[in-house]
Amino acid sequence: MTQTAAANGSGGRVSLGALFAGFLKVSLCGFGGGLVWARRIVVERQRWMDDQEFAETLTLCQFMPGPNIVGITVCVGSKLRGAIGAVTAVSGFILIPWTVGLSLGGLYLYYAHLAVLQNILGGLSATAAGLLIATGIRLLMPHRSRLTALLFATLAFVGMALTKLPLLVVLLGLAPLSIAVAGIASARAP
Amino acid sequence: MNGPSASFALAAHLVLLSSISFGGFPSVLPDVHNFVAANGWVTDREFANFFAVSQVMPGPNMILMMSFIGLKVGGIPGAIASALATFGPPCLMYYTAYRLWDRFRNAPWQRIVRRGLAPLTIGLVIAGGYVMARTGDAGWQSAMVTAAAVGLMLGTRINPLWILLTGGALGGLGLL
Repeated sequence: MTQTAAANGSGGRVSLGALFAGFLKVSLCGFGGGLVWARRIVVERQRWMDDQEFAETLTLCQFMPGPNIVGITVCVGSKLRGAIGAVTAVSGFILIPWTVGLSLGGLYLYYAHLAVLQNILGGLSATAAGLLIATGIRLLMPHRSRLTALLFATLAFVGMALTKLPLLVVLLGLAPLSIAVAGIASARAP
Repeated sequence: MNGPSASFALAAHLVLLSSISFGGFPSVLPDVHNFVAANGWVTDREFANFFAVSQVMPGPNMILMMSFIGLKVGGIPGAIASALATFGPPCLMYYTAYRLWDRFRNAPWQRIVRRGLAPLTIGLVIAGGYVMARTGDAGWQSAMVTAAAVGLMLGTRINPLWILLTGGALGGLGLL
């Protein structure tokens, strides 16, 4: 894949304004399912990447720390316009939604001591926790036939949620073991 | 308000966490919670409120949530520092990695590392949800709502926004 500035399937140079607007849209539409909108806009609407390249990029992002959707933003911006493109795309994704969110949310939180708002927030919080748990379970489904994967997911859950160990301790303790087990498994079944 | 040195300590911790947040920021939520609670900056209740509000906003939820914590700890500068600490380091890594992508795309070790890390990431995400469910001063009604949200999210194609709004409405009616 080329990484030169102007490479783009439909030919011609993508303007920085289009990048900014594209990822602003991904950000504003992305209640809960940001990835759906990222693919729709990047692949279907703008044709900045094809499906395979998008999938490859997503894999790369899942392999890295941080929010995957921000990763897609950086990679698409970088592909189309280099470093300045990456900065522009991330700005589009974050700047306006962040400002609006912080203002509205801050205002809301300022009045959060009011009983009604407190109750609403309690309901929202319980629901949001459920959505997060469900997302984790969704992610687990492709691995459900691998007993060792279930074991390590459980160990990570217990280490973090029940024993309240620091994340670094949990990760550094379990990661080498988990990677070693995956390595042995893949050596046995190539 | 806790002043600039607290903002700096928070931002420094977030830089560390965002650099190891494999699988996204929810996987480091429990650690953020332990850190700010240990420092006495944010109560359990506030933490749950920040989470709830950031989830109903469009856009970068976790960046926003860390900004709420920063806002509490050090005002607007604290919020900006937290936001930068949350997305800055991963952005630099994404950029660098994308440039190197071609070189290690087909390496077999990469597949093994991914298979090894995936279950840990998933366990951490679920732990994040569990910790959130426990921080609101939750009774059995709240636990039911959490369970129902899990069920609806997994079993139906309802837009999660509607599930969230329903949960908020139940709370607003004083049922939780």
